[in-house]
Parts: sequence; C-alpha cells; structure tokens
Amino acid sequence: MVAIDELIHRAYLCKLVGEDGLMIVESMPEEEVTDEFLAEKTAISLNTVRRTLYLLYEHRLAIYRRKRDPDSGWLTYLWKLCPENLEKAMEAEARRLISKLDERLAYEKNNIFYACVAGCARFVFEEASEANFVCPFCEGSLEFLDNGKIVECIEQKMTGLESALQH
Amino acid sequence: MTEDALEYIRSQEEGVLQSDLWKALNIDSRKCSRIVAKLLKERLIIREAETINGIRTYRLHHTERLPPSGHRFEHLMVEDIFEPCAGCIEECIPQHCAKLSEWIFAIVLSQGPPEEGESLRKVEAARIQPV
Repeated sequence: MVAIDELIHRAYLCKLVGEDGLMIVESMPEEEVTDEFLAEKTAISLNTVRRTLYLLYEHRLAIYRRKRDPDSGWLTYLWKLCPENLEKAMEAEARRLISKLDERLAYEKNNIFYACVAGCARFVFEEASEANFVCPFCEGSLEFLDNGKIVECIEQKMTGLESALQH
Repeated sequence: MTEDALEYIRSQEEGVLQSDLWKALNIDSRKCSRIVAKLLKERLIIREAETINGIRTYRLHHTERLPPSGHRFEHLMVEDIFEPCAGCIEECIPQHCAKLSEWIFAIVLSQGPPEEGESLRKVEAARIQPV
C-alpha cells in the first residue's frame, strides 16, 4: 500500500479528489492495478474510481499502461500511483496560487472598500458612491471598510509561498 | 456531551475512530454524528477517512494534537483548509472569486479575533461583490 503520511499531502489529495478519492489513493498498492480492482476493494463506484484516477493522472500523480488481451483483444488499463510527484504538483499549485494572490493583492491595494453594515456585500468606492452609500440589497448604509489586514495576510502568504519555492 | 467527546478525542494520541467514539461515550451513532459535525464546524477536530474491516468510518483528531506542519508548503493551508485553487476548474477572476475570498478571510480570522473597532466580522459576513 502506498502510504500518504504527510498531513499536507493528504489535505492536497483530498482537495483534488475528495474524501472518496483519498480512500482510493490509500487503497492503491505499489504495483499496477485496474480500476475494477480498486472499485471492488473500496466499495466505491467504478465511475468515482475512474474520475479519481484521471484527476490524479492530470496532475501527474498517477500513470497508466494499456495492456491488450491477446485472446479477446480487449484493452486493460493498469494504474500506478506516483507519490514521488506530490511535491512537484504542490510546487505547481504554489506558483498558480501566487499568481492569483498577486492579482487579488493589486485589487485590494488599488481600491477603497465600503461594506453594508448588515454584512450583505462589499463594494468598491465607485459602486458605493453610485449607490449613494446605500446597500442595494437591504437599504442599510455602506460604511468604509479597512482592508489593511487582508492586504497584510495576502502579502504574508505570498512571501511564505515564494520562500517555499526557493527551497 | 460535546465537551466529553472533545475531551475523549483530545486524550487519544492516535486519534479515535468515529465508530469507536460513540461506544466509548455510551451514546448512539446518530447523536455521535451530530456532535462530530458540531466539532468539525467549530474546527476543534479534523477527520480522515479510514476503512476498518471493509467498513468506512472516520478517524478523528483534536486540532491541538495535529503534528506541527513545518512542511515547506504549509502556506498552502490555513488551519485545515487547503487553498481553493488546487484542482479548481472554474474560470476565475481572482479579484471576485468567492472561494478565494473565503480562504483569504479564513487567513485573517486565523490570526486571532478582531481588535476593538475593527470591522472584521463584517468582512467575514460580506459577499465580495454585489450579485
């Protein structure tokens, strides 16, 4: 059985393929297996097993080999997990997240925000001003919202991720 | 009973199977599920899927007992929430993505309760953009 010990790896896999998917991953032996074998072993539907395997394949966390039965001519797909690629996959996720956080950070820094006192929504200054600082949902008033902490947190995360990529 | 459950989970170094928890607490499994759901919602515990003798259950861990992350990519997580972009196939505008916003607010909230005068709770409740 392939052991996924690191908590963060488990969390990542769970995010990618869900709890059923994680269970499938943890049921995979080190040698090649078929999707039918996994479905039978985990009592999870064959569709879910196939979806999980293709998602893992897309993230290079699993590979497959096709084998043709010489008698029937049928193709069998044999799957194998690639846990050694987990760190690389997370590197790619970190890069993608940094790029998204960067865009978000610029938005947070370049705008002034107002929020409904009842918590309906947050608006940029131009939207709030157009609405005469009245919430279009509940007609409550819109008040200035300091997003300093949000900016600070995004910057901290980006620094942490960038430093992780350099190691 | 919720406190008893939390205390019991905390006392188990290796975590406890949900299927054992209700027996240990001498309650029925449905009540146990409700208690577990409440503790999960309050982020006092986390759960991992596990199969015992072919039966699917969950292993519950108290969040204080989790091993220190220390992993180089720990910044992909906030408490037990993995960053939302992993595996996401939605066409995304990061400025307005509700999932990303939720995660960012979780980061803010993980750094402690708002100081007096801060309007953090309002942010937490707010939708990001008008719908």
